[in-house]
Amino acid sequence: MRAKLTPGLVLLLLFFAAAALLPFYVDPRGHVLRIAAMALLFAAMSQSWNIVGGLANQVSLGHAAFFGIGAYTSSLLYLRLGISPWLGLVAGAALAGVAAALLSLPTFRLKGHYFALATLAFAEVMRVIANSWASLTGGPVGLSIPFVGSQPLNFAFRAVSSYYWIILGLLALVCLVFGLLARGAIGYRLRAVRENEAAAEVAGVDTFRVKLTASVISAALTAVCGSVFAQFTFFFDPDSIFSLAGVSVRMAMIAIVGGLGTLGGPIIGALFLIPLEETANAFLSSKAAGLSQLVFGVILIAAILIQPRGIMAYWPKRWSRRAPRPPAPPPVAPQAEPALAKGGQ
Amino acid sequence: MNAQTPVLEAQAIAVTFGGLKAVDGISFTLTAGEIVGLIGPNGAGKTTLFNSLVGLQRLTSGQVLLGGERVSGLKPHRVAGKGMTKTFQNAALFPDMSVLENVLTAALLRHDLASARMKAGAVLHRLGLGAIAQTDVADLTFPQKALVEMARALATEPKVLLLDEVMAALTPSEMDEVMAVIRSLRDEGLTFLVVEHHMRAIMALCDRLLVVNFGRLIAQGTPAEVANDPVVIEAYLGQGAAHGATTDAATGGTNAAGGAHA
Repeated sequence: MRAKLTPGLVLLLLFFAAAALLPFYVDPRGHVLRIAAMALLFAAMSQSWNIVGGLANQVSLGHAAFFGIGAYTSSLLYLRLGISPWLGLVAGAALAGVAAALLSLPTFRLKGHYFALATLAFAEVMRVIANSWASLTGGPVGLSIPFVGSQPLNFAFRAVSSYYWIILGLLALVCLVFGLLARGAIGYRLRAVRENEAAAEVAGVDTFRVKLTASVISAALTAVCGSVFAQFTFFFDPDSIFSLAGVSVRMAMIAIVGGLGTLGGPIIGALFLIPLEETANAFLSSKAAGLSQLVFGVILIAAILIQPRGIMAYWPKRWSRRAPRPPAPPPVAPQAEPALAKGGQ
Repeated sequence: MNAQTPVLEAQAIAVTFGGLKAVDGISFTLTAGEIVGLIGPNGAGKTTLFNSLVGLQRLTSGQVLLGGERVSGLKPHRVAGKGMTKTFQNAALFPDMSVLENVLTAALLRHDLASARMKAGAVLHRLGLGAIAQTDVADLTFPQKALVEMARALATEPKVLLLDEVMAALTPSEMDEVMAVIRSLRDEGLTFLVVEHHMRAIMALCDRLLVVNFGRLIAQGTPAEVANDPVVIEAYLGQGAAHGATTDAATGGTNAAGGAHA
């Protein structure tokens, strides 16, 4: 597949270049870089979610399940068996992929709200298991990754900037996967499923297989984000890692505010929402309990009301990539010049 | 495959919704290269029959054979893969895609992305839609949508194509164009089963007609035979309209009003 340099791609590359340089211009151990890293990680999570939620419009409210599977798998393998989180991350992705495939069997017949509720329930089940199965997971107190100084092979670094760059690389990877899927055959099929499932089937699209493939990829990438999150924050517990509001809904929200099913949407959404949330917290949490969440919620509602299709709706349409015009084949049938193509345009 | 081989065989197929028998034991065969019309009053079970043939609707009983191979019970994409697909009555296109992308998606059934694009372009040219390949389907007129719907179905390279009212809302000259395309595709061996309310189109286009009412096959034969069958006149056209419409239909006269209320 040849990549043409469109305005969108140029902007995306500029964004990654600028983001890569950020640690040189802010305090490398400071709060700003941590927030930036968190925003990029949420962009990567939301982009992973966007593969299923955006391209196929299967709105999952349970992606925290895969996020948590990733975090627990890499962390437990490291803490109990001493296996490097780099390998644990791969194991977590595989496990999340299997979980997504198993979850697909009963849930793919469900549409819209019912699918969302089923996925939500799955994440809740995972949270309850993580809380109750203390001998394996450590239970409600959660898991702590011990600070061991700089051990790159064990995914441990002193500087925040190291984690920041890894997260930026992860975001690039997820965006690349999203871009390849969206522009490939599976992208057309997923969009067909999103827009009319019955018509897609009749037009020869194996809708189940397409959704399954997208779900497995989406879950695996989300799990990688979970492993990286665990290494970055050094601590997590069942209620935070499997959180509905903090993880599942936020992943969906970022993509929706940014622009569902678009490559730029999750990045713009995360860069808008995560700093906004942090700022609201910093300025308002001392004023009154819950005030910052209230303000954040009001801004979210306003954003959705002002532009339901997300910030990417302001993207100039002529800049969007279109399937290129097919080469004109020689006229086949000796017919009268058809009037329909001209009529009524 | 010689001309007498049944390419499609419906054996006593039935579809029941609760107590309602939408399709009640219908059997028929289509021979390769035939254009067969399926007619009947609204609610007779035509669309349900189409859906059950392509696998969108599960059969309560009976079976469907395509080229001698059983396709009933398969999912629609498998049936499409075996060579039978349909168009949707109200043009169920993928609204956020261009015309080309709609057709390309169906061409992916038998092609990789690059050659699917070529295939889609060729099908669009064949139907005279080359000029609107890049148009968003949301911006199309209704007749254009119906043709894109047909192009998308053709892109799956079917042996049997079920057309559900693709000619509704077409002007007479547009209808002639579409019929010319259907005939030329038939000459290449494609087999058609056509639902259409336009009497003129049905009479002019079809080699044979199947008449359904209340989920049952009540008559079949050449257009002329069917048009003069008293059972058909009673069921399909109603007592009041019977006389005028019969002569009109039998002579292939223009019945513009017939299309307007379809």
